[in-house]
Amino acid sequence: MASHGIARPAASVQRTEEQLQEEHRKIQEYRDLEDLIRTKVAERQYTVEVLNLTSKLLKANPEYYTIWNVRRRLLIYGLFSKSSDSSSPSKVSPSTSRIDTTPVSSTQPSDSVTTSSEASNTALPDPSSQNPGKNGTTLDLIKADLEFLFPIMVGWPKCYWLWNYRLWLLQEANKRLDPITARKLWTQELTLVGKMLVRDSRNFHGWRYRRIVVDELESQHLQGTSMVEVEFEYTTKVIRGQDGLSNFSAWHRRSKLIPKLLNERGTDDAGRRQFLDDEFDTIITAMYTDAFPYAQSVWFYYQFLMTTLTDSVRHATITSNFTQEDRIGYLTRQLSILKEMLEDADDCKWIYDALIEYTMSLSQMEQRQLDKDETEDCKLWLSKLRVLDRLRGGRWDDLDKELSGSRALVQ
Amino acid sequence: MSLVSGPGHAGPSSLPDELQLAIEPHVKYIQSLDSRRDELEHWLTEHLRLNGLYWGLTALHLLGRPDALPRNETIDFVLSCQSENGGFGAAPGHDAHLLYTCSAVQILAMVDGFGELESRGKGEGGGKLAVGKYIANLQNRSTGTFAGDEWGEEDTRFLYASLNGLSLLKMLDLVDVNRAVEYIVSCANFDGGYGSTPGAESHSGQIFTCLGALSIAKRIDVVNVDKLGRWLSERQVPAGGLNGRPEKLEDVCYSWWVSSSLAMIGKLHWIDGSKLTEFILKCQVCVEILQLVGSADKKLQDPERGGIADRPGDMVDVFHTVFGIAGLSLLGYPGLEDVDPV
Repeated sequence: MASHGIARPAASVQRTEEQLQEEHRKIQEYRDLEDLIRTKVAERQYTVEVLNLTSKLLKANPEYYTIWNVRRRLLIYGLFSKSSDSSSPSKVSPSTSRIDTTPVSSTQPSDSVTTSSEASNTALPDPSSQNPGKNGTTLDLIKADLEFLFPIMVGWPKCYWLWNYRLWLLQEANKRLDPITARKLWTQELTLVGKMLVRDSRNFHGWRYRRIVVDELESQHLQGTSMVEVEFEYTTKVIRGQDGLSNFSAWHRRSKLIPKLLNERGTDDAGRRQFLDDEFDTIITAMYTDAFPYAQSVWFYYQFLMTTLTDSVRHATITSNFTQEDRIGYLTRQLSILKEMLEDADDCKWIYDALIEYTMSLSQMEQRQLDKDETEDCKLWLSKLRVLDRLRGGRWDDLDKELSGSRALVQ
Repeated sequence: MSLVSGPGHAGPSSLPDELQLAIEPHVKYIQSLDSRRDELEHWLTEHLRLNGLYWGLTALHLLGRPDALPRNETIDFVLSCQSENGGFGAAPGHDAHLLYTCSAVQILAMVDGFGELESRGKGEGGGKLAVGKYIANLQNRSTGTFAGDEWGEEDTRFLYASLNGLSLLKMLDLVDVNRAVEYIVSCANFDGGYGSTPGAESHSGQIFTCLGALSIAKRIDVVNVDKLGRWLSERQVPAGGLNGRPEKLEDVCYSWWVSSSLAMIGKLHWIDGSKLTEFILKCQVCVEILQLVGSADKKLQDPERGGIADRPGDMVDVFHTVFGIAGLSLLGYPGLEDVDPV
């Protein structure tokens, strides 16, 4: 129903009788399958056979979230408890599976699926078990399901339910398997999400999933340690790769990793200064290559670096011990770099925009009004912006008013 | 998004004649959506049925044709999607989820159907209260955010859906609104935007949900308006349309997510409204046909000429149709009912 990027056929074609019949047959087949699953579930047949039926349906329609939920219930109330690793195959009352009667825990919604089946099912299997038994081990079931999902995810990389179901499986692994086995599964996920992000380096499901997997691998219950260095390195790799400079997702991730990175490295003031210099170098070098002074992702990252100087209360993530003098020094230096940049790219609106913003920031930092030269400069840069970027005329009008306000105070 | 009644604004007058909103074909297109049971696609999209009804109905209200879908059947269908736990699924027999519960409440509010909900609704306590309780139970009381359903996925989309639904039910006091606001603040990024969870990249759709929730909570004051306004205004691309994140393709649905977000922070004038209007109008099927063959194709039935796509030349759907029309309404396109950006 929500179609993105699918070209419309040139003209609407009348379907032939044969095509109509074929479509009718497909509809019937699909609806029969749906009915069959619902009937079996109503009869509480939590079996591999029904699981396979849901596989068939979900391959045809991975957006059918209710069927993913059916699959969860088949596993929790049937297959996990019947699997050969279960210490005492328990008869779980299926009534607990009814969502209608199970209010969600208000503090830990992710744990709300915990049911009485858990208690009898927490016996940890031997991870090296080579004897899956009739129904396979819980590990086998989870592995098989993860494998089942992958090709569907490749076909439907933006389907929320798929990413969500995958995470659920892994959380079940945390609950039901020993930490070493669970950790192996999560580690493989890092490879998987790496592949998904190679296919589409901006997929925000993928980036979100990556954050969750990393958090999990770092967590105590999986005996993890910090991965901030490798993750930071990952963003460097993505940014340096194909179209990497335009990958705002990677720049964003980088901005979030930096505070943690510096804290864990125990970087001293000199080191932080060096780090900031290096980041500025990276971004400014990027702007000088190819068409990048015109691409906005690098400019937003530039804004992030500048924010650590100008918005010292909330964003002093790199520069925590910088003195006011240090900050002013950095700002002044950046203003001259920006002016230099104009010499090669006097049609780049981003430079003018940044010049106005940071000229105003500098005067605020020095607790003074704009001086006469600065005011004239800003006025000139604004007139360039009006010509170069007509779409955002309303913003330039507001900026003009702001500048006129401070001009009035100077005079 | 909700509707307020009122006269249309004076709209853009500089558009070429062939670039107009095709009201009647859009109405017919939406009316035709439920009669496509002979298409496999109809069955494959059942998980969107209730949202689809909300989108279609909203579009009809904006087009000034609120009665184009029958009220009683609409209410019957909505109530048939309710589960025993008070929440609503996408269609009868589908599991309850916040997204559909919010759509159900929005539809019932739009067609003045809360009376029917009171008398016929399911769940503990019945009526509006059962729905309010279903929503409130999904709040994570320690962080303030909401899960989408019993399986626990958390996302700022669900937070907005909850506050929206509860505010229409007038039951916001069932949840901890302050905690929810704190959670949104924790999702803010250096660029002024918001993501799905703390640490997530800013995304126009998520920004809409966060600003919508903050508007309902009357806490827009926590937003860095200048930074966010700037980031949002940079979503407009030279073709006039809006994208969802930096250096992505434009798409009609962002005509709504971005411009309503700008409106909520008082910066709608930071983008070029007439260029955006032109872009949306070009995504109508009928305009495409006109440009292809040089004249309106009289042979086509109205429904085939109706609907709006994500970009010019693509397949239309009801999702892009409503967000295109809502965008036009927000921009003051003449003849449309006013839309509330929240």
